[in-house]
Amino acid sequence: MNIRFYILRRVALIIPTLIGLSILTFAIARIVPGDPVGLAAGPRATEEIKEALRREFGLDQPLPVQYVDYISGLFQGDWGQSLYTRREVLGDLRTFWPATLELTTAAVIIATLLGVPAGVISAMYRNRLPDHVARVLSLFFVSFPSFWLAMIFQTWFARDLGWFPIGKRLPVLVAPPPATTGLFLVDSLVQLDFETFAVSLRHLFIPALVLSFGAFASITRITRASMVEALEKDFVRMERAIGIPYRVIIFKYVLRNALIATITVISLNFGWLMAGAILIETIFDWPGLGLYAVHASLSLDFQPIMGIAVLYGIVFSVVNILTDIVYGILDPRIRYG
Amino acid sequence: MAEGHPHPKSLPHEEGGTSPPSNSSPLTGGGRDPEMGGAHPARWDNLARGLYRFRSNRLSMLGLLMLLFILFVAVFAPWIAPFPEDASGSTNVLERLQAPSEKHFFGTDKIGRDIFSRVVMGTGLALQVGTVIILLATTIGVTIGAISGYAGGWLDDLLMRITDIFLTVPALVLAIAISAALGKGIINAMIGISLVWWPGFARLTRSLVLSLREEPFVEAAYGIGAGHARIIFRHILPNAVSPIIIKMTTDFGFAVLTAAALGFIGLGAQPPTPEWGAMINDGRRYFPDEWWIATFPGLAIWLMVFSWNLIGDGLRDVLDPRSRR
Repeated sequence: MNIRFYILRRVALIIPTLIGLSILTFAIARIVPGDPVGLAAGPRATEEIKEALRREFGLDQPLPVQYVDYISGLFQGDWGQSLYTRREVLGDLRTFWPATLELTTAAVIIATLLGVPAGVISAMYRNRLPDHVARVLSLFFVSFPSFWLAMIFQTWFARDLGWFPIGKRLPVLVAPPPATTGLFLVDSLVQLDFETFAVSLRHLFIPALVLSFGAFASITRITRASMVEALEKDFVRMERAIGIPYRVIIFKYVLRNALIATITVISLNFGWLMAGAILIETIFDWPGLGLYAVHASLSLDFQPIMGIAVLYGIVFSVVNILTDIVYGILDPRIRYG
Repeated sequence: MAEGHPHPKSLPHEEGGTSPPSNSSPLTGGGRDPEMGGAHPARWDNLARGLYRFRSNRLSMLGLLMLLFILFVAVFAPWIAPFPEDASGSTNVLERLQAPSEKHFFGTDKIGRDIFSRVVMGTGLALQVGTVIILLATTIGVTIGAISGYAGGWLDDLLMRITDIFLTVPALVLAIAISAALGKGIINAMIGISLVWWPGFARLTRSLVLSLREEPFVEAAYGIGAGHARIIFRHILPNAVSPIIIKMTTDFGFAVLTAAALGFIGLGAQPPTPEWGAMINDGRRYFPDEWWIATFPGLAIWLMVFSWNLIGDGLRDVLDPRSRR
C-alpha cells in the first residue's frame, strides 16, 4: 500500500473518533447538575428570562435534537456560542489557539533538546555516575507541580533578577506582528522584524522551560532504553571492529535506530504538554486556550469547553499521523499498511 | 491490532516503559503456573530476589523512606500539628500573614491559620485522593482491557474505540470538563480524574492479555473445562500483575499532582479543606511577598510525587528488568 493511501485512510479514521469525542463531551455538558443558564442569567433573572435564554441556546429541545444540531454545526464551522460573552466559540479558539501552540511547541523543543542528550549520555555511561545523575534530575524535576514551579521561576528570573519579563506574550507597547500564523515568533520572522522576534522569545522562554520539565523524564528514559537496546545490535560490534570512531557510531547509527521509540514518546508528550499549558498560562497571564478553558469551566460555560476538547482531539490525531509519517522517513524498513 | 499502525507503535504502550512479560525470564515471571506445586516455592524465591534487588537500589530505598515518613505524618497528623483546628475552618485574624517563626513553622495565611498544621493535616487527604483515583482507574481499566484482549472480535474493537476516544484528549482537559460538570469539590474531582485515568490501564492490560491468552497453560485450563471468568482471573491476570503494579506506582504521584492541579484551578477541594493545590491557589495573590503561604504546600506535593516516582522507578527495575540494563 502506498503512503498517500495510508495517510488518507488515517485521516478518514479520525472522523469516527471525533464523532465519539463529540458524543462524550456533549454527554458531559448535559449531565451538569448545576444550572448554567441560571448562572449566566444572574441571580435576579426571572423565570421568563431564563426560559428565553434556554430557547435562544436551544436548551429546551430534546437531547437528540440538541446533539444533531451540535454535530452538524461542528462540520459547518458553527461551534456554538459562549453563554457568557455571547462570542462565537470557533472565533475565540482561533484567537487563543496560536498562543498555546507556540508555548507547547517551544516546550517540546526544549524538552527534546534536554532529554535526548541526557538519554544518550545515560546509555553511554550506563549504570555509572552520569547515568544516575540524569535519572535523579529527571525524576526530581518532573515531580514538581508545574504551576507552583512557574510561580517560583517567575519570581526569581523575572521579578528579582529581571532577566525575563513577568508574563504575557509581548509588552503592552509593542504591537504584535501582522497575523499570518498567529505564532509571534514565525510572524515576526516573516516580517524580518528581529526586534519583535527577540522580545517575544524572551517572553516565551520561562513559561516554555517550566512546561518542558513535565516531558523531560519520559523522553530521557525512553531514549536511554532504546539506545541501550540498539547498542547491543550486531552492526555496532561490526562498525567498531572496522574502526569507525565510537562517537560517529553513536550519533550516526545508534541514535537513528533509537529515535523511533523516542519520537512516539515526544509526540505523546505534545498532547500532555498542551494540557499542562492550561496551568502554566494562568500563572504567566499567557492569552491562550488555558486561560479560556479555566474561565469557562469555573462558570459552567460548556460550549467553549466542548470546543476545546474537540480541538485538542483534532490536534492530537494530526500529531499522531505526522508521527507515523516521520517513522517512515527515519526507518525505511517500515511499511505502511 | 486492527488499526494499522506501523509496527513500532506497539513498542511503548504507555508512558514508554513497561513491556509485557511475554517471554519473561525465570527471574521475573512470578511462576508461570500459579496452580502448580501448592506452596509456590519458585514464587517465594523470586520475591526474595526481587526484594534484594529493590533494597540494593539506593534511590528507591530513599523513596520508600520518604513515603514511610509521609505515612507517619498522615497517621499522626492531629498530634504533630500544633493547631489541628486550623484545618477545619477556625480563623485567627490577629495573627494573619505572619512569616515563619518558632510558633508558626511555615507562617500563617490571610486569616491567620497555621500553614504547618494545614500542610500536615492535608497529608492524609492527598494519600486518600491518590489511592481512590488509582484503585478506581485500575479496576475500570483492567476489567475493560482484560475483556477486550480475551474476547477479541467486535467486542475488542468496540471497547478499544471507546478507549481511543478518551486517549485523543489529554487527561487533564477531560478531567477539568467532568469535574466542572459534576460540580466543584474534592470527591467530584476524584471521580473526574478516575474517569479519564483508566484508558492507560485498559491498553496495558489488553496487550498483556493478548500475549498471555496464547500460552499453553490457558489452553490446558480451557481443556479441563475452566470457565472464561476463571481463566481470566485465576490464570491470565495473575501473570499480568507486575506491569500493572508498576503503572499503579508510577501513576500514583501523577494522580496526586492532577488532583492538586484541579484544586489550584479552583475545581477541586473547596475551602477550608487543607488540600495542597487549593492552598497554593490561596497563596498566589500573596506571592512573593508572603511567599510561605504557597511555597510549603508546593514542597509537600513535590515530596509526595518524588517519593512515588523513585519507588516506581525501582519497582520497574525489579519487576521488568528488560527496561533497565
